[in-house]
Amino acid sequence: MTFFTLMISIVLSVGSLAWGYAGIGLIPLARWLIFCGIIWLVSQWRRWWWVSSVMLIVVVLVAGLGLWVEISPGWMFSGGIFALLAWDLTDFRRRTQFAAIDDDQRGIERRHIARVTLIALAGLALSSIAMFTRIQFTFEWAVLLVIVILLGLTQLVGWFKK
Amino acid sequence: MSRALLLSTLFYGLLLAGLVALRSELIAFALPFVVYLFSAMWRAPESIDLRVERKFSTERTTPDSEIIVKMTVMNQGADLEELLIEDKIPSTLTVRLGSPRHLLRLPKGSSFTFEYTVSGPRGSYPFEAFHAEATDMLGLIQRKQIIPTSGQLFVFPNVQRLKNVAIRPRRTRVYAGTIPARVGGVGTEFFGVRDYQPGDPTRTINWRASARHSENLYSNEFQQERVADVGIVLDGRETANVFHGGRSIFDHSVLAAAALADAFLHQGNRVGLLVYSNYLGWTLPGYGKVQRERILQSLARAQVGESSVFAGLQHLSPRMFPAESQIVLVSTLVQDDLDILIQLRARGYQVMAVSPDPVSFEVGLLPVMEDVTLATRVVRMERNLLIRRLQRAGIQVIEWDVSRPFDQAMRSALMRPHLDISRRVS
Repeated sequence: MTFFTLMISIVLSVGSLAWGYAGIGLIPLARWLIFCGIIWLVSQWRRWWWVSSVMLIVVVLVAGLGLWVEISPGWMFSGGIFALLAWDLTDFRRRTQFAAIDDDQRGIERRHIARVTLIALAGLALSSIAMFTRIQFTFEWAVLLVIVILLGLTQLVGWFKK
Repeated sequence: MSRALLLSTLFYGLLLAGLVALRSELIAFALPFVVYLFSAMWRAPESIDLRVERKFSTERTTPDSEIIVKMTVMNQGADLEELLIEDKIPSTLTVRLGSPRHLLRLPKGSSFTFEYTVSGPRGSYPFEAFHAEATDMLGLIQRKQIIPTSGQLFVFPNVQRLKNVAIRPRRTRVYAGTIPARVGGVGTEFFGVRDYQPGDPTRTINWRASARHSENLYSNEFQQERVADVGIVLDGRETANVFHGGRSIFDHSVLAAAALADAFLHQGNRVGLLVYSNYLGWTLPGYGKVQRERILQSLARAQVGESSVFAGLQHLSPRMFPAESQIVLVSTLVQDDLDILIQLRARGYQVMAVSPDPVSFEVGLLPVMEDVTLATRVVRMERNLLIRRLQRAGIQVIEWDVSRPFDQAMRSALMRPHLDISRRVS
C-alpha cells in the first residue's frame, strides 16, 4: 500500500512540474524533470533512501522557479505537495522495514497514509486560501513576516539545541 | 541531515525568497511545509517511560537448544504513536523464530507482549539493554532510550556422564568417599593384616593367618575410602588450542573438563577449576550441586585467550591447590609445559593430564598431501616423546581422539587406576 502510494506521489509530483514547464514551452527542462523522476522511482527499488531528500530539494527549487516565472501555481503547488508526500513515505518505508512479520504493519501503514494525506490536504487548502485571498503585500506585512521568521528561527534553534 | 532541519530550511528559504522577491506565491507555497512541521511537533513524544520484563523459558541450557524469550513492554507514559522496540541480543546468539524487534503503536497504559526463540553455542549471555525509539506520527522527531534490563542466559557445555574416574592422590580429606586413602580402617578393599584387637568384629578375623600363629589372633584391615581435593586446570591458551584456519579444539577441552568435574563432584570430592587463558579464572574448591553449577558457569564463560604473561604454565602455582592433592590438567600439551608439570609432580601432587589429541584434530583440517603426511609423522613423534617423558615423571596422561565421544573414548582409561611408571623405573 505504501509503495503504491509512494510511486503515485512521485509520478504526480514530477508529472505536475513537467506538465507546467511543458505548458510554457520549456520542453527540455520538462524532459530533464521526467528523467529525474525515473531516477527517483528506481531509487525506491534500490532502497537509496537519500535520493528522496535530494529530489524534494530539487522539486522545491524547480517549483519556486516556476512560480517566479509565473507558471500556473496549481501545477507547481501540486508538484511540491506530492514531493513532500513522497519524501515522507520514503522515510516511512525505511522505518517499517524494521517491523516484524507479525506486527500490524497494514494498520500502521493505513493510519500513516491517512494522516499524511490529511496534512497534505490541509497544507494545500491553506496555500489555496492564501492564493485566493491575495492580500496586498505591503511593508507592514513584510515586517510581520520577518518577525515571524525570526521568532520561528529562534524557536527552531532552541529546539535543536535541546 | 535531520529531516526536521531539511524541512525547516526549505520553509524558511521559501519565506525569505517570497520576502525578497515580494512574491506571495512563494510564501503560499511554504505553507504546506509549515503545516507538516507543526503537525509533527504537535504530537512529538516528550519522553519514553516504558517498563520492560523479560522471561526465559530456561536460564540454563545446552548448545543449540532453543530458548524462548518472552518480553512484556508496558507504557507508563504518554501515547507513543510509533514505537520501534528491540531487545538487544548478544551477537553470537541466533534468532530461530520470531523477532526481537517490533514496530508498533503503544497507547498510554497499554502493554505489548512478544516472544522470540534463540539458540547459540556455549557461552554466558547477558541481556542488559532494551532499545526503544519513539517518533511522532510523521517520523520527524525521535526520542531514543536504552532501558537497562537484567537477564543472563547460560549455555553450558554438554556434560557427559562418566561412571567413575579412578584417582589416587597422596592426601585425602577426612570425609568418607570413594578414593582409597592409603590408611587402614573401614572400607571394602583389603589393606593388610594386623593383631586382633578387642572389639574387632569376628568376621574380620583372618583365620588362616591366626591358624599359622597359634599364640595370636589376626584381623583383616581394609583401606579407608575418603573424598579428595581435585583441582581441574583447563588450558585456554591460544598456542595450545587454535590451529589451521583459526579452528579451535578448545570446546572439546571444555567438554572434557565438564565431564570430569561432574564425575569428581558426583563421587563427593571437593573440586576447584582454574581456567588458564589470558587470565586466571579460578573457581574456588567446593562440594556438591552448587559447586557443579559454579563450575559449569565458569566453563560456559571460558574463552581461548592469548597473553604474553600466561604464555607458559609457570603461573600454575602450587599455592592454588591443597598439598598433595589431585591435579587434572585438560590440555593439548605443548613442549614447554613439561618442566612445570614435572615440578608439580615433584611437589607431591598427583597429576593427570587429559589431552585432546591436537595432531589428529589438525590433520582432519588439512588436505591430504605428502608434505602433510610427513609433517604429521614428525609432530606425532614429538608428541609421543613428550607424553613418554611425562609418563616417566609419574604423570598420568590420557590421550583423547576428539573424533570419538569423550565418555565412550575415555571410560576405560579413566576407570583404570594409574600405574606409576616412574616408580617402576626407579
